[in-house]
Amino acid sequence: MANKRLLALATVAVLALSACSSTATTAPAATPAPAGTTAATPAPAATTAAKPYISIVSKGFQHQFWQAVKKGAEDEAATEGATVNFIGPNTEADVQPQLDMLNTELAKKPAALCFAALDSKAAGPILQKFQDQKIPVIAFDSGVDSTIPLTTVATDNVAAAALAADKMAAAIGGSGKVGVIIHDQTSRTGIDRGTGFLNEMKAKYPNIKIIGPQYGAGDVAKSADLAKSMLAANPDIKGFFGGNEGSIEGVINAVNELHLNGKITLIGYDSGQPQLDAINGGTELGAITQNPIGIGAQCVVNAMKAIKGQTTFDKNVDTGFMWYDKTNITDPKIVAVLYK
Amino acid sequence: MAEPLLEMSGIEKHFPGVQALVDCHFDLFPGEVHALVGENGAGKSTLMKILDGVYERDSGVIKLKGSEVDIPNTATAQRLGISMIHQELNLMPHLTVAQNIFIGREPQGRLPFVLDERALNENAAALFEKLRLHLDPRKRVSALTVAQQQMVEIAKALSFNASVLIMDEPTAALTDKEIDELFRITRQLRGEGVGIVHISHRLQELKQISDRVTVMRDGHVINTVATADATVEQIISMMVGRTIFEAAPEVPEVTNPEVVLEVRNLNRGRAIRDVSFSVHRGEIVGIAGLVGAGRTEVARAVFGADPIDSGEILIHGKKVKISGPIDAVHHGIGYLSEDRKRYGLALGLNVETNVVMASLQRFVGRLGIVRSGLTRVAAERQVQNLAIKTPSLSQRVRNLSGGTQQKVVVAKWLTADTEILFFDEPTRGIDVGAKSEIYQLLNALAHEGKAIVMISSDLPEILRMSHRIIVMCEGRVTGELTAAEANQEKIMTFATQREAAA
Amino acid sequence: MSNAPGLPLPAGRSGALIRADFFQRFLAFGALIVLILFFQVWCVAIGTNFLTFENLVNILVATAVVGVLALGETFVIITGGIDLSVGTVLTISMVMTAVCITSQHLPVPVGILVGFLTGGLMGLINGVLVAHLKLAPFIATLGILNVARGLSLVLTQTRPIYFAGDNGFQSGVMGNLFGVKLSGEFGIPIIAILMFAAALFAAFLLGKTVLGRYTFALGSNEEAARLSGVNVAKWKMLVYVVCGLFAGLAGVLSAARLGSAQPATGFGLELSAISAVVIGGTSLSGGEGTILGTVIGAFIVYVLTYGLQFVNVPQEWQIVVTGIVVIGAVYIDNLRRRQRA
Repeated sequence: MANKRLLALATVAVLALSACSSTATTAPAATPAPAGTTAATPAPAATTAAKPYISIVSKGFQHQFWQAVKKGAEDEAATEGATVNFIGPNTEADVQPQLDMLNTELAKKPAALCFAALDSKAAGPILQKFQDQKIPVIAFDSGVDSTIPLTTVATDNVAAAALAADKMAAAIGGSGKVGVIIHDQTSRTGIDRGTGFLNEMKAKYPNIKIIGPQYGAGDVAKSADLAKSMLAANPDIKGFFGGNEGSIEGVINAVNELHLNGKITLIGYDSGQPQLDAINGGTELGAITQNPIGIGAQCVVNAMKAIKGQTTFDKNVDTGFMWYDKTNITDPKIVAVLYK
Repeated sequence: MAEPLLEMSGIEKHFPGVQALVDCHFDLFPGEVHALVGENGAGKSTLMKILDGVYERDSGVIKLKGSEVDIPNTATAQRLGISMIHQELNLMPHLTVAQNIFIGREPQGRLPFVLDERALNENAAALFEKLRLHLDPRKRVSALTVAQQQMVEIAKALSFNASVLIMDEPTAALTDKEIDELFRITRQLRGEGVGIVHISHRLQELKQISDRVTVMRDGHVINTVATADATVEQIISMMVGRTIFEAAPEVPEVTNPEVVLEVRNLNRGRAIRDVSFSVHRGEIVGIAGLVGAGRTEVARAVFGADPIDSGEILIHGKKVKISGPIDAVHHGIGYLSEDRKRYGLALGLNVETNVVMASLQRFVGRLGIVRSGLTRVAAERQVQNLAIKTPSLSQRVRNLSGGTQQKVVVAKWLTADTEILFFDEPTRGIDVGAKSEIYQLLNALAHEGKAIVMISSDLPEILRMSHRIIVMCEGRVTGELTAAEANQEKIMTFATQREAAA
Repeated sequence: MSNAPGLPLPAGRSGALIRADFFQRFLAFGALIVLILFFQVWCVAIGTNFLTFENLVNILVATAVVGVLALGETFVIITGGIDLSVGTVLTISMVMTAVCITSQHLPVPVGILVGFLTGGLMGLINGVLVAHLKLAPFIATLGILNVARGLSLVLTQTRPIYFAGDNGFQSGVMGNLFGVKLSGEFGIPIIAILMFAAALFAAFLLGKTVLGRYTFALGSNEEAARLSGVNVAKWKMLVYVVCGLFAGLAGVLSAARLGSAQPATGFGLELSAISAVVIGGTSLSGGEGTILGTVIGAFIVYVLTYGLQFVNVPQEWQIVVTGIVVIGAVYIDNLRRRQRA
């Protein structure tokens, strides 16, 4: 009796574990180096392998934006002869999981690290360890508030948001109310885009009144609710600026639901299918696009330079931004940096 | 005799919709076993739960050793030396025997809140030694037999230095040998001056163990007599009262030879062993036996609720395969669980929904939409047919009385065109008036040609309702009696016919 | 079944039970060992090494916060309840610690104490809602989850609070034991020692005190405990307080780890903690569970997370695998209960 029971439990345990392992082994692209390079030495293979291994710890991995960064990095790595591992936490609130990811990557002794910090200060001690082990660090996207990174690959978000403000002012004739919805007020991009837009308005267009900014965590539903409540309180709003993909998609949803299409000027950020549709359909005037593929590519380019021994870098690598609307959305230069 | 240990007088208790106790008087002397008997729902447990602080009395006086006491909760009862062993055992299965016994008053070490596990186990062992019980204090309760668990409850009750010990149906789930052991301990305690209240409706055993008997009926204390002076028949007549005998109808003859359901050589582990029986059209077959005899298990197996190891089920002579309740319903078998609140009804839903629940497929139009007009007509018809006392079809079943709820379950199966009905303890928890209505309903259903199997622990009920009686013991059919030849003694003989000890 | 001499009961059953218990404990521990060996084999296959001191330290550090969180959750789950608020109670404790130390300029120990007590206070509120107002634990703690989450944002004005300079707090928690470096930069991390100390205390509380006994009693048969004169409401409330205190401790550790109070973090950790508890063999239906199991469960969660990243399994698949492991653990829990029934 008893033995039978134990046997049953043991069988289940083995099954459960083998189920995990088989799932994991069938995962594609799981190994950084060919299995043939089984080194007898216990030294980490990542650095001894022929191709340099570059760790990219991002702020996320699920959004299309990050997937575009990842693609840019992987394509560039393929041409430069490097291996990259692109990872990021599930949400931008996962500060601690991001630290754990850094620790794990450090243990793999990468040739270089590209890093977009959720919280620069929290990551400080670990970045110090990278520096101590002479692993070059390249910051990207919102950057890292520290002297350790050799350079920061990013969009000049302040300038980009100022351009959005100019476009908005032109579209609404230089006066009236404009609602602003930003993803958050803690991240570098959130701060830069919010202040970039607001300062430009304040400096150049005194007759435009800003409603907000309100913060929707980049969540479509939450941003839509914010837009609706702003519209309810200020029915005379002439335009909306959405500070990232999720924020502007929320505004688009709100406008669709209230049947205000075309009556309000919407200006967004980044791309993604809903936004492209809105621009083509006339609901949205246009948007600022960064160059996520370029960000990814430049990360790897600069990491490779550092690996090859370059020590002096420009403080910032601006990957550029562009305004796109209905008129130039099919321009090959624009199409190349948009993602769906 | 000396001064009474305990005196309850003028006790009244009212529950919503029921006057549970009316002017009840009860007393208990030290060193006495006082049996409390009565039919289900007579108020025995309620009266004792007032003594144990589970319920509070509405009015009346409780005197303990001559002075008046108030027992608002169980903790107070324990402090006063009153302990009750409830019908449904109240143990924590994940804890050990000793941990269960001393729950709430664990011996603590020098530091506050830190348990002294050694003292705990030693105290339990000492207690067992005193009671001459063979139990391992360190054993988990979930690993004990029901009888052993009962012993743990008794030990626990006594560990409070109880002077009053109330046992609610302690023998219900025990074997003869275990009952002997229980009685040995009961006598030992009586010898030590403990006053014991023994609630039971097994009248035979009262003669063995009790000194006095108090009979209750419909919330009243009918009489208290010395056990030696009363015959079992006298006690029964006090328990049942005149009214029931008057209402008891003749059991009509069954002449219809058509066999509707036949079960052959049903087996399921040790619970069901080689059970065969058949039910005719228009017949009520009673299944009698003690708790744990396998009666419910048989019903569940035929209904497909539990898998069977082997055996055949034939309906109208044709072998059918029933691998789940869906098949059973399809073949016209309905099962009315003893726990209708758990298994028979959706309490939060209304009468109409409950009535059509088992046959909803029939009321579904195209696109899967329920045709509410049809369901209302169907439910209306059943409410009239069965005289279901509900203010409306949209009344939630939760708010109906037990008897009416039972009728709703019946209505559900009738709507599903059920031909074979298993009633598992159909009158449990139903008051006396509603009982006779359920009996009339059963007779009417049989008269209409339904084949009915009625499981009941209530022997008078089985005797007055059944055309034929099957008696089970330990998973086997030990006897079959016609209505004419059946009586309580014969049934009990079969019900206790154990296999020779292996 | 044979009668062993000296035992009053048939020995077969009790013997089997003990062995089954032992096996169940071994099951979780065995799974952890198998998991580690599994990753080692994989690493060797791709030319690296999993069994390094650095990896061990990284896993210890990564596990510490959720490990402590899971300790308190174990108590609640053993009573048959659930506390969904531990993740954000961690956050608010972290925030209170930071507010005390930075904006109120109170000494570090006071900040730590306040963080700890904030957790206890939130636990007390949970306890009152569940034990006295009889709200379903799922709903009550879901409500407190949001209250704590929102308050954390309010208290910080949605910005992280950073500890100015090193005040000994961060290095005290995140440093090496006795400052000793055993391998390269790595020594035994103090945060891991703190987790083990908390686990020992939790095990003592659960196994040796009245509180622990009632925790099991409530989960096993609450009605029986009530009828035995146990003050069910009081003890149940205390169980939630204990859970809150551990969440508070986890918040303090988290603050030290991050060098700051992050108002948006923490949400979601309750699910990791519950996973750890369940993988460790604590039954969601109450009545059984061990602290050792929970600690092992937490390590399984983090060895899995760490290992999968270490061998470069894509993130999407890491999430899938973690989900399967939780389902597997609950399934085994089910089987085990069926065996018992």
